[in-house]
Amino acid sequence: MKRRVAVTGLGMASAIGLEEETVWERLMAGRGGIGEISLLDTTGYRVSIGAEVDSEEVSSRLSAMGRRSIDRALDLAMIAGDSALRQSGLIDGEPPYEPQDVAVIFGSGVGSAESHHTAFTAFAKRGVRGLRPTTVPKCMYNAISSGLSLQYRLVGTNYMVVSACTSATNAIGAAARMIRDGYADTVLCGGAEGFFDPFFYGVWNNLGVLSTLPDPETACRPFDADRAGCVLGEGAGALVLEARDVAERRGARIRGEIAGYGESSDAKHRTSPSAAGQARAMRQALEEAAVEPSDLAVVNAPGTATEANDECESRSIREVLGDAASRVPVCAHKSYFGHTLGASGALETITTLLSLEHRTLPPNLNLERPDPACGGIDLVGAESREIHSPWAMKNSFGFGGGNGVLIVRGPDGE
Amino acid sequence: MSTSSDGGNDQIMARMRALLEESSTEEYDWSSITRETTFEEIGIDSLSILDLLYDVDQEFGVPLEASEVIDLRTLGEFADLLVERQKA
Repeated sequence: MKRRVAVTGLGMASAIGLEEETVWERLMAGRGGIGEISLLDTTGYRVSIGAEVDSEEVSSRLSAMGRRSIDRALDLAMIAGDSALRQSGLIDGEPPYEPQDVAVIFGSGVGSAESHHTAFTAFAKRGVRGLRPTTVPKCMYNAISSGLSLQYRLVGTNYMVVSACTSATNAIGAAARMIRDGYADTVLCGGAEGFFDPFFYGVWNNLGVLSTLPDPETACRPFDADRAGCVLGEGAGALVLEARDVAERRGARIRGEIAGYGESSDAKHRTSPSAAGQARAMRQALEEAAVEPSDLAVVNAPGTATEANDECESRSIREVLGDAASRVPVCAHKSYFGHTLGASGALETITTLLSLEHRTLPPNLNLERPDPACGGIDLVGAESREIHSPWAMKNSFGFGGGNGVLIVRGPDGE
Repeated sequence: MSTSSDGGNDQIMARMRALLEESSTEEYDWSSITRETTFEEIGIDSLSILDLLYDVDQEFGVPLEASEVIDLRTLGEFADLLVERQKA
């Protein structure tokens, strides 16, 4: 059984907005979300910038949903999930909701960082007596997927995919396969990260991959010759995937389709990428969607802005796209969202869908002098571009050597 | 059940106030809480009640189960139950 997989709902909580319209406006205006960190004291840290979601907006949305803050990652997932479910028409009005046979598959590389930090701090201060009972349900990775299931009474399976920066893309791919193969009609999927706490930000600070450029607006420079590393960002993205025939029967608005998915492991190095591993996932995804490289309107790249990653993925794009590589535009939206790790695949799949729907690619920020080492691919610059094909490739490549690739079809892809 | 607002019950309310102020992440004017303050008002739900019961056990040495307090609405009702258990 092979069914078409439609996207019927999109939701975001990001540094450039919580509403789809706001996010699209910011993308088209070239206004990124990176600034000085306010969620923690960065005194003594080498870096002090990141892409934060507006905390007042988060509080106000949670309050409108009748929820209190539990953990930042879960809070952001709830906001994105709520938007996606409402947009799809699966949820309306106030709780309590009727049970629905909808599965939840979410990704997160870090999980409940805030709850872990609270527990570590209490343990350091009071020993075992400081560890309160809710530490367990708050710190478990599936606090996110089970939280969504509980809030909206979604009675399909719920679980997490944990694969660093590939988490959300893997989650969307797994969800699409469930629907394609007939195991579910509807899945709420995506990814969430909320990790701006002193410990987590500290370990990344010391890892040596964060940009030390002082100006937040220009610090994240994917594919630029002067790039200096990535900038962390928090956020969540959620998509409602649905069997296309089921979505059509209920008259749902179809925002696009997940037409192909590929995944692979480099099996080479914990933190250094491999073009060969990436290429295998890209080829699988193209083959499953029966799409030729020359059909693609865009490749939405990870574009982490680290020296090794951007160069490596330029190589794998050239390898897989062949002659088409110089004609298929490449986008890198971490210049707006920061690197949201396990949420990035969801946020960037959503911006890919929005790009296809608007038939426009937003500009890449800070790409002033494309790195010759990333040559042979068509990088979108400071100007937006029109596109005329309904097909896009979304790539995610993560620490641990996991690669996930989606082929996305726009809403006019008939 | 007693609803007295003097003696041991008042002391318990004062200790409860200090305990909530120290442990809660909610922004609330803890000096304003009274016997009539509800759990809902101070952000105690079915999850965070587990933490409150744990804190109360640590502070008062009185173990309570979530099932025993699930139907209680106000801090005063909770304080009464605590007093009753302390006497037992």
